Amino acid sequence: MSKRDQKTRTIEEINQKIIKGDAQVLTAEEMKKLVESSGVEVAFKEVDVVTTGTFGAMCSSGAVINLGHSDPPIKIQRAWLNDVEVCHPGAAVDLFIGATNSCEKKPFEYGGGHVIQELVAGNEVELRATAYGSDCYPRAAVKTTITKDDLNQFYLLNFRNCYQRYSCAINCSDETIYTYMNKLLPRMRNATFSGAGELNPLMNDPNYETIGFGTKIFLGGGQGYIIGEGTQHSPQNLNGTLMVKGDAKKMSPEFLQGAAFTRYGTSLYIGLGIPIPILNEGLVRKTAIRDTEIFTDVIDYSVMRRDRPKLCQVSYAELKSGAITVNNKRVRVSSLSSLKMAKKVAQTLKNWIDDGQFTLTAPIERLPLDTVFKPMRQTQEIPFVSNVMHPAITCMENEEIRAIAERIVTKSVNHIVVIDSYSKLLGIVTSWDITRAMAEGKKALADIVSRKVITANPDEPLESASKRMAQHNISALPVVDSEHKVLGIVTSEDVSKLLGR
Amino acid sequence: MARILLRLNESLVSEPVVSEVILENKVLVAILAAHINSKGGEIVLEVQDDEVDIIVSAFRQKGATVTVPKLIEVDNNRCFSCGSCVALCPVEAISVTEDLSIQFNKEKCVGSVCNICVDACPVRAINSIRYSNTENMHNNNSSNRHREK
Repeated sequence: MSKRDQKTRTIEEINQKIIKGDAQVLTAEEMKKLVESSGVEVAFKEVDVVTTGTFGAMCSSGAVINLGHSDPPIKIQRAWLNDVEVCHPGAAVDLFIGATNSCEKKPFEYGGGHVIQELVAGNEVELRATAYGSDCYPRAAVKTTITKDDLNQFYLLNFRNCYQRYSCAINCSDETIYTYMNKLLPRMRNATFSGAGELNPLMNDPNYETIGFGTKIFLGGGQGYIIGEGTQHSPQNLNGTLMVKGDAKKMSPEFLQGAAFTRYGTSLYIGLGIPIPILNEGLVRKTAIRDTEIFTDVIDYSVMRRDRPKLCQVSYAELKSGAITVNNKRVRVSSLSSLKMAKKVAQTLKNWIDDGQFTLTAPIERLPLDTVFKPMRQTQEIPFVSNVMHPAITCMENEEIRAIAERIVTKSVNHIVVIDSYSKLLGIVTSWDITRAMAEGKKALADIVSRKVITANPDEPLESASKRMAQHNISALPVVDSEHKVLGIVTSEDVSKLLGR
Repeated sequence: MARILLRLNESLVSEPVVSEVILENKVLVAILAAHINSKGGEIVLEVQDDEVDIIVSAFRQKGATVTVPKLIEVDNNRCFSCGSCVALCPVEAISVTEDLSIQFNKEKCVGSVCNICVDACPVRAINSIRYSNTENMHNNNSSNRHREK
């Protein structure tokens, strides 16, 4: 067979071309256009490598640093960098800076991700550490400043990065919520999504034919390696993840940026790109995948449970268009990860390969294709609203205040839920409202009903309902279903009874 | 066009203040945003440049506090165009350009009365500076007019 008709090529052949400066490298975006215009065969002949990229907030990130020994030496027990506590020191002077650890003085605003970015940028960072002291490590405290040049090792080490795809977040409740998917306005007024879709590395090689243990990658503006499947790797439903490591001293603050999500906490945005060697026509087809073929679930994040309701499926093409349709409603949607930076990652990696600075590695082992992401084993159950709610004492809007006063006395309750003939929630009246109405000589219930009612959902943890009562300074929440039909009521008494048990 | 921010106290919210100013002075105003309840409220109005002075003093006579809302400021060095802010904006003042950058339309933005995007920026690149006083605006306007003469 002549070389021209070859149906496969090897990574060694591609690397030789890279070294000679002959390799044909396209970004994932360019590859898709080429396959669409010229077909799989032509694309296979013409392209050796496709570069992919993603730039998202990757919370399970961090950095390992080794400080070197102080004199006298210390075996650090607790340590802080710019007032951010760094976790689980190993022996003596190894530290792990977790991206989500928050600064004690500026919680939620400054955290481990920012510290990593500052170190990468070459800035000085303040170190404080304490220890119990031993004969071999006598020192009990140390305070100094460090830069990346002072460190022996400074590795970015991420347990779970590069999510193949991620769900789209929406909020069906009546209140704004702040999540790791950012700010979600009430009643589906916005939605957010994450991930680069057709540019994502794992989406372009969805069964990890070329991406595996030992694959050399673009990481944070420097080079890194895949060191295994990421935690929560769930390949069977296209939710693969990667564990990665790289020398952070050679990374760039442009591709590693600390981030703060209001009322959630801090994180780290990371640029991650993987070159995909086009070894056969199958990989041409895989790298030709389009956003229209990549789907994800729209999830209601207002439900405070592990398994949140899925409202519908949308494609990344719809997500990137800026609006999706959920329950017949047009909802504007925006990206959390930067698509502009994802493209820049793929382009930078392409430039490196074109310049002969970056050669490809064959994985020494493939990523697992059969792992399952299991939920936590829980030996203690927590109470939910449905466990403590009881039937609500109700009334109709056209009833007289006197009749309701009687009901409050006979039923010995403080809250009466106002409903319509379909049992749908209209409002609430309390014994206090009734007392005041009597004092003021009011007769009609309609004049005193509170119509803006804070409600609870039967499936939510009692703790969150209890928090909401405290937040709004109220003592009961009508429990309603998704159509606002009243199912019962939960009161602060129910909560205290449970706590006193 | 200029933008002004009215603040109405508890006693003013039940009065038809905006209608009165419009009818008495025969001016045009567009209400861009309004947040009002029984305890008070804020209204952002867009008014014609040559009617700013008349309208500001008319509202002040009615007892409203009038200021110029400061627009949102974006630090383009910090922004890496994630896009978190885009779908939050109620007046669609934030958009994604063809090269996937984020663009703020200062004409559309209602400024500090809204602020919905500010705490959603993960790199805190969006800032709203508190209201400047209309006194400054009066000075600016009059100095402009002097220059025109």
